[in-house]
Amino acid sequence: MKIIRRIVAEEFPFILACPALVWQVFFLFLPVCVLLLYSFFELIPGHWLGSFTLDYYRQIVHSRALWAILNSSILALITSTICFVLAYPLAYFLAIKVAKKLRMFFLFLLILPSWTSIVVQVYAWFFLLDKKGYLTQFLYNAGFISDNFHFLNSYGTILIGMVSAYLPFMVFPIYAVLERMDKRFLEASADLGANGRETFRRVVFPLSLPGVYAGFLLVFIPSFGEFAIPSLLGGSKYAFWGSVIVDRFLRSRDWRSGAALAILGVSIPVMLVASSFIVKKIIEIKKRREKKRLTAVKDQW
Amino acid sequence: MRRIRVENVTKSIDGEVILDNLSLEIPQGQFFALLGPSGCGKTTLLRLLAGLEGVDSGRIYLGDEDITHVPIYKRRINTVFQQYALFPHLTVFENIAYSLRVKKMSSEKIKTKTQDALKMVRLAGLDGKYPASLSGGQQQRVALARAIVNEPDVLLLDEPLAALDLKLKEEMLIELIDLQDKLETTFIYVTHDQAEALTVADQMAIMNKRGKLEQIGTPKQIYEFPTTRFVANFVGSTNIIEGTFHVRDGQQKVEVEGLTIFNVYNPLDKHWMIPGCRLFMSIRPEKIYISKTEKEGFSNHIQGRVVDIIYYGMSTRYYVKLRNGQVLIVFEQNEEHFPQEVIDYDDLVHLYFQKENVVLLEH
Repeated sequence: MKIIRRIVAEEFPFILACPALVWQVFFLFLPVCVLLLYSFFELIPGHWLGSFTLDYYRQIVHSRALWAILNSSILALITSTICFVLAYPLAYFLAIKVAKKLRMFFLFLLILPSWTSIVVQVYAWFFLLDKKGYLTQFLYNAGFISDNFHFLNSYGTILIGMVSAYLPFMVFPIYAVLERMDKRFLEASADLGANGRETFRRVVFPLSLPGVYAGFLLVFIPSFGEFAIPSLLGGSKYAFWGSVIVDRFLRSRDWRSGAALAILGVSIPVMLVASSFIVKKIIEIKKRREKKRLTAVKDQW
Repeated sequence: MRRIRVENVTKSIDGEVILDNLSLEIPQGQFFALLGPSGCGKTTLLRLLAGLEGVDSGRIYLGDEDITHVPIYKRRINTVFQQYALFPHLTVFENIAYSLRVKKMSSEKIKTKTQDALKMVRLAGLDGKYPASLSGGQQQRVALARAIVNEPDVLLLDEPLAALDLKLKEEMLIELIDLQDKLETTFIYVTHDQAEALTVADQMAIMNKRGKLEQIGTPKQIYEFPTTRFVANFVGSTNIIEGTFHVRDGQQKVEVEGLTIFNVYNPLDKHWMIPGCRLFMSIRPEKIYISKTEKEGFSNHIQGRVVDIIYYGMSTRYYVKLRNGQVLIVFEQNEEHFPQEVIDYDDLVHLYFQKENVVLLEH
């Protein structure tokens, strides 16, 4: 009894973590594993799993679906870049210039749209960008656009929707880093002769990089898999990873190649993160070797 | 000459007056200490000199140049910040080279200058480290090197040693003095620690809680001849006795009701010292001689009873209660292992001091 009690006491944090772990394993990892199996094994009626095959992957590679992955990567990249360009000045303004009392209000305004579902946000854009939408009508009446101009079903409109949905996820991490940054670094930099621009370039921006990385991850990954915004605002003109998967699973009922496509797509961001991690490690090791070499030289002296 | 001159400077923060019409001149090449209690405005004065904040009114000159409205990054004044404010993302080398890089100096020049500065603060070999991996004392040195590498006219130090332990602090004080000797840059050293100020300063200024200067002088002048009660109390410890001033047969006397008449001697002609006026006598604890037996040759003598004894090792502090209830502090060096007389609690003791060692202060 005593031993059990001691184990419980020692492993209490683990026990507390169990519900979340079980949830993740059963409802996320296991389905992903099933997808993985589906994508690699042949479908033979009467058997649950057939023999190993790469056919489904071959099928994907030879179809337009591969382009969908590329499309999604480009879209995610452009979205996160635009978000970054828009978010950084906003985060800087909020963290450095706005009075503390007002910050919460601005942040509230920023996050407010995210409290509704993305689909609702997209329909809000319809009210503005539809042929009879307010913005279209206004611009038409003002003489800026012609009668046959369409906002919807264009790449630009997809970007508008993507950026407006994901902007807060770029602002928040950058804001958090800037807000926490010790303002005395700014004073020290000015004291050492740097003007505002130099201080930004040499101190503020480098110190905010962790926030920028986090922002890119938070925007890139979900916008890579996003299918609602592109398919609603872009129509069927553009094939994106998310929408092709939805197609395969729901319309053509082709779970096997759908699974292969999903696995291929997931492996791209995973590989990105992994490769950046590996590069970082290599640089670290190189640095350490260099240092060892230098100290060795010093010792000789 | 690149002296610093502050003229009638007034500064309020959030509606509260911090510095009120303050004027001060600091000659070039001095180690100048600004000493005052916490919240007296000494750091604010430093920030005004650095250019981190602007004055409400008044002017600041560096040499003959009016720098009141010169922006911080154009002033030839550098600061060692209280918590050092080293850039965490830059190595020691890059931290020190910062001001040179901003100036777009050639990389060879940056290298030699930075290495020289590193040697100056005895940190050679640490250039590749990041601030977070350094000890407090090393960080302090990096901050110092970063501030002097650009050869400023004036170096401001804002309580630079506050975060260090006592031993390290004493070491750094001596290094600071040596460094200032070598560089001949004006150092302005802000502190609330009177021992630090007395140690390093060529000249020091004492500020009171209302942001006014009380006295300026050498450490010795400040300690031995304070001109106000605040300075006498703030720098070192002292005994303040209130009394009435008299002159009898050309001899200066101070009568303390219910106690005795003291002989005093004040060679300076102070305008407020008219016979019959009330004043304070200040007598330092180490200038009082304590004994259980009667002695000759002292101009003042009183008796009292020991109420407290604090043993410090090298000295002992006695609290002696006088007839009128006032308690005087007396220091005695512990010169012998086995002193001839041992003073204990409740002992009746004689206190002696010379009239020249009494400082008279305005009421």
